[in-house]
Amino acid sequence: MIVGERCDIKTSLLFLTAITAASELGVKVLFLTPTPIQSLPGSLQDTLANLNPDSLKKIKFMYPRSREELLQDVASLHECACGPSAPYSLIIVDGLERYLGVRPDSSPQPEDQSAAAHVSALLADTAAFLTRKLEERGGAYAPCRVIVSFDVGLQGHSGGESLLCMDPILSILDRYFSVRCTLDRDRSSAAPATAIASDKQPRGVWMVYFSGVGVTARLTAGKEESSIMQRQWRLAVCPNGALEFSPMGTDE
Amino acid sequence: MSSFLPAVAEELLREIRNVYQETSQIPDEILLALKFVFGPSALHALDLVDQRAVTVLSSPSGRRVYQVVGGSGHLYTCYTTCHYCPCPAFAFSVLRRSESLLCKHILAAYLCQAMGLSQQETVTDQQMSNILCGKAGPGT
Ligand SMILES: [Zn+2]
Repeated sequence: MIVGERCDIKTSLLFLTAITAASELGVKVLFLTPTPIQSLPGSLQDTLANLNPDSLKKIKFMYPRSREELLQDVASLHECACGPSAPYSLIIVDGLERYLGVRPDSSPQPEDQSAAAHVSALLADTAAFLTRKLEERGGAYAPCRVIVSFDVGLQGHSGGESLLCMDPILSILDRYFSVRCTLDRDRSSAAPATAIASDKQPRGVWMVYFSGVGVTARLTAGKEESSIMQRQWRLAVCPNGALEFSPMGTDE
Repeated sequence: MSSFLPAVAEELLREIRNVYQETSQIPDEILLALKFVFGPSALHALDLVDQRAVTVLSSPSGRRVYQVVGGSGHLYTCYTTCHYCPCPAFAFSVLRRSESLLCKHILAAYLCQAMGLSQQETVTDQQMSNILCGKAGPGT
């Protein structure tokens, strides 16, 4: 699950993930989003142009417009999981908040929490089913994973992490998605508004944190007990739109 | 879906499975432990077990889902690999207040599975899709 304030960077990250999974891992990807992706950063367009068309065919886009349509599309995935073509190994939902009817101006209602749980549980149960199907086929492309992005209305807030802890919808999503990846705009290193846009200045810098029971479990199971619980990365959006990751802190 | 349960609850369900297979009943100390771990929903769940309220639906694709008939005759669809129930108690005590681990319907599904008392029913793939998204019951 990718969490952060409203921004296009999450869509770019998800799209990059879809392309990487399809071209490098050779797995089938389902990309669900309420609206077709209008524009892509330049770097992604270059990547796309150089991509083997067969890789792109592994990504299927669907545009459910409402929560009902999303539920229906996900619920019927099992129907074609037994056919000749391989089941999906990656299900991506971009902009989950748009399916949950979360309004930025009012606090979420109990129904919104139930709806968030329903969508998340159906995604998780479907992934578990597709994982079983992938394993029956030899397991090369198993397991099936789910990645969703979720906007939180943090525009203009500082101390985002404490707000994230209290978000009632996010606390529901945390039950079903074991890893949370938080994107936090790094305002300190942002270029001053008056500066002339230079070719070398990144367009935006984001702090990327990994947290959740999935991360904690992996850290305690592995040899990485000594490292801090949260993995932190710095993500810079270059002037040409390329995304540059660099590890932060004592972590690697 | 057992990975969603704490170890003590998993252990308890294993014990119920073993004891029930041998003796076809649940001794008092296990009933007490059930109440201790799951709270008041334990007794309601056992009522549902008595009423054989849990059906495992499966479709040709291999997809499975639980359907539990609640006290009022309402049909609740619960997934087999993670915790979700559309009932008000799940929304309130589990999701909103985080007071309980699960509602009586999900617990009844666990218990029926452990005791081998679930009904089995087959539906078409399309019916399964409708049931999974909470639209319809089987053949209704
Ligand atoms: Zn329930």
